[in-house]
Amino acid sequence: MVDEPLLRARQITKTFPGVLALDGVDFDLCPGEVHVLLGENGAGKSTLMKILAGAYQPDAGTITLNGHPVQMATPRQAQRLGVGIIYQEFNLVPYMNVAQNIFQGRFPHRWGLLDHATMHTESRKLLDGLNMDIDTRAKVVSLGVAQQQMVEVAKALSVHSKILIMDEPTAALTDREIEQLFATIHRLKQQGIGIIYISHRLQEVHQIGDRVTVLRDGKFIGTRQVSQVTVDELIAMMVGRTITHMFPRDYQPQGREAVRVEGLSSGTRLRGASLRVHSGEIVGLAGLVGAGRTELARAIFGADPYQQGQVWVFGQPVKAASPDKMVKLGMGLLPEDRKTQGLAMILSLSENVVLASLKRLFPRRFVDAGMEQEVVAQYIRDLRIATPSPKRLVQFLSGGTQQKVVLAKWLCTHSKIFIFDEPTRGIDVGAKAEIHGFMNELVKQGAAVLMISSDLPEILGMSDRIYVMRQGRVVAEVPREQATQERIVAYAMGHEVEP
Amino acid sequence: MTDGGVAKSIRPESERPAARAKLPPVAWVVLFMIAFFGVTAPGFFTVGNFLNIMLQGSVLLIMGVAATFVILTEGIDLSLGSVLTLAGVTAVLVLQGGQSVPVAVLVGILTGAACGAVTGGLITVGKLPPFIASLGMMGIAAGFALVLTRQGAIYSDVPAFIFLGEGSLGILPMPTVVAVLVFAVGWVGLYQTDFGRYIISIGGNEAGTRLSGVNTAWWKFLTYVAAGALAALGGVIMAARLGAADPIVGNGWEFDAIAATILGGTSFEKGNGTLGGTVLGVLLISILRNGLNVVGVGAMWQPALIGLVIIAAIVFDVLLKQRGVIQ
Repeated sequence: MVDEPLLRARQITKTFPGVLALDGVDFDLCPGEVHVLLGENGAGKSTLMKILAGAYQPDAGTITLNGHPVQMATPRQAQRLGVGIIYQEFNLVPYMNVAQNIFQGRFPHRWGLLDHATMHTESRKLLDGLNMDIDTRAKVVSLGVAQQQMVEVAKALSVHSKILIMDEPTAALTDREIEQLFATIHRLKQQGIGIIYISHRLQEVHQIGDRVTVLRDGKFIGTRQVSQVTVDELIAMMVGRTITHMFPRDYQPQGREAVRVEGLSSGTRLRGASLRVHSGEIVGLAGLVGAGRTELARAIFGADPYQQGQVWVFGQPVKAASPDKMVKLGMGLLPEDRKTQGLAMILSLSENVVLASLKRLFPRRFVDAGMEQEVVAQYIRDLRIATPSPKRLVQFLSGGTQQKVVLAKWLCTHSKIFIFDEPTRGIDVGAKAEIHGFMNELVKQGAAVLMISSDLPEILGMSDRIYVMRQGRVVAEVPREQATQERIVAYAMGHEVEP
Repeated sequence: MTDGGVAKSIRPESERPAARAKLPPVAWVVLFMIAFFGVTAPGFFTVGNFLNIMLQGSVLLIMGVAATFVILTEGIDLSLGSVLTLAGVTAVLVLQGGQSVPVAVLVGILTGAACGAVTGGLITVGKLPPFIASLGMMGIAAGFALVLTRQGAIYSDVPAFIFLGEGSLGILPMPTVVAVLVFAVGWVGLYQTDFGRYIISIGGNEAGTRLSGVNTAWWKFLTYVAAGALAALGGVIMAARLGAADPIVGNGWEFDAIAATILGGTSFEKGNGTLGGTVLGVLLISILRNGLNVVGVGAMWQPALIGLVIIAAIVFDVLLKQRGVIQ
């Protein structure tokens, strides 16, 4: 690329409380170029994208547009400077028509009234420019995903954007729609528009990209010409996160089958997922955000209904699954979002611990406060829960302690099967190691554990076996001995691996 | 992020700030009103008048317990007033049909439980918002009451029935005895049984409670059934006091019940609140009504004044919370 870059970002650094999200990242974009941004979950892609779109402010670093240093304090300001962004979740108003959505916030006026005629002619021109045959009077809600995306593109172009940021634009599209999108992208390139393209699909790098930049853990790993890099090289750049602590594992022979899942399907999020978990093993479930892991866990637990497929627990087929039925069968779910799903924040630690076991502990319905205290005190000791009192409201406990409370809740029901969804996310290092220790203890005592994690070292360090999910399916099973970060990422991103 | 967790956890807060608070602001308002009426109205500080207040507050307390249970689940039941009316009507009709008083009381209560079951079913199985489901039931119950009474009051003077409303146990009026029993059972149910735990937990985090394996739909359904049955009990007592079932007697009672609950510090969000607070809310409304009567403010002006005091008390409460004076 010989052109003067449209955009030049240097040494962009951004911290969130407790996390260094971006650490001195460089990024360029030339006119008429598609620059792919690649990285694992949590690598910093979204943060960088939001900084370039004015949604976040960098703590350090400079951004220049066409050679001029700029400050983009708000998304609106970024828009005025010619940066348009299309988020994965569209920002369209469903019950307004296409033209109104394109001109949202900048409606043309005539004599103080909305100038519908101008709005429609201008929208028509923009959509024609994209070669899109969409009725400007159609309500957005009546359009398909691909068409809505084009409305977003038209909206971005209507403010004369020179830079377009697209966040996983193909995630919800069919193959035919992807072809159309790529054709549109080529047209935009010819108009000299630079495109920052974020994707989780490795094959798209070569299909649509000119250059590719890889981030890992907020660090800039490198920028390459797409024509001079292979997929395997890209994977090697993305992974290679160092394993920072030893994982406490005692392996033992597989026990009996605890959970068997065949062909679970639900809408577009689950498309026939299958897996098995045995007593005495930790099964890791890897995959990218949006691959359907949490959805699978919730479906197994009966929290969400599924249209097709079957779940067996200890060999018994489960009919009409619901959380209370699964709990009776000995299953417990530790959800990713403890605050909204795992705990009742306005209740005390003690009340949360016994909530799922009231029927077992107090079959005569009357809660015996003394007995409750004894039971809870036991778990506070066993799990080393740091709290001044069992009556402390859980909202005042730290993340790691809250996770221990959720675990205590399931120990209290005498669960035999534990589903951990991101068990150590947002938890400090010390508590993390403790949670890992407890998981090891659980399987030693014969429990079956299914662990969803986006933290590859955790997946590799804790699991007996690893399943990889992609687009609603379990696409691979990898035994512990053969598991490498590269292999898991390759499966998760849909790259073919030789066994 | 876990930041702030430690800082928060060492803050010396009471273990359950809102729910097990010291003296809620509404208690001060109640004390202030007692003092105010005591000074301005000569007849206020008499045993007779206090018994009067208790009698007048009895049905409201029963209704308040019902409303508190529902609101603790983050729900609302607008049909409580109409259910009160309808239950009085069915009870009196059964008496007129020559049945015994226990049968009449039972039929009245079952009428309310059935209404609550329909409301609860619409909410849990039909997935209707509580506001809509109970609004519908409000109309249906009121309509049935009109149809069954042919739009006029129906009477019964069976002595055993009248005793429920007019009689007394020692010095205490019967309605007050029933109300105190209802409160006691409600308190034990809420704080000493799994049902109560589930109600509070559902209000605090319904999704999380369901994921704990609690059949939240069932317990919510039961809450509406219980609320309907309690409102019906209130209706039966009301009919016993009047010796008649009037087809519009319960109009507006749902609002008094909800107002008493809210005044008592129960929040529409997150199932935060106490049954004890509701007693204070009931006292506030009852004392205000009684005091206005004793002072000689006419019935015409009372609703407006009561509305004013309710708003003032809640603004007072909100202001205190904003200033951080109370949790």
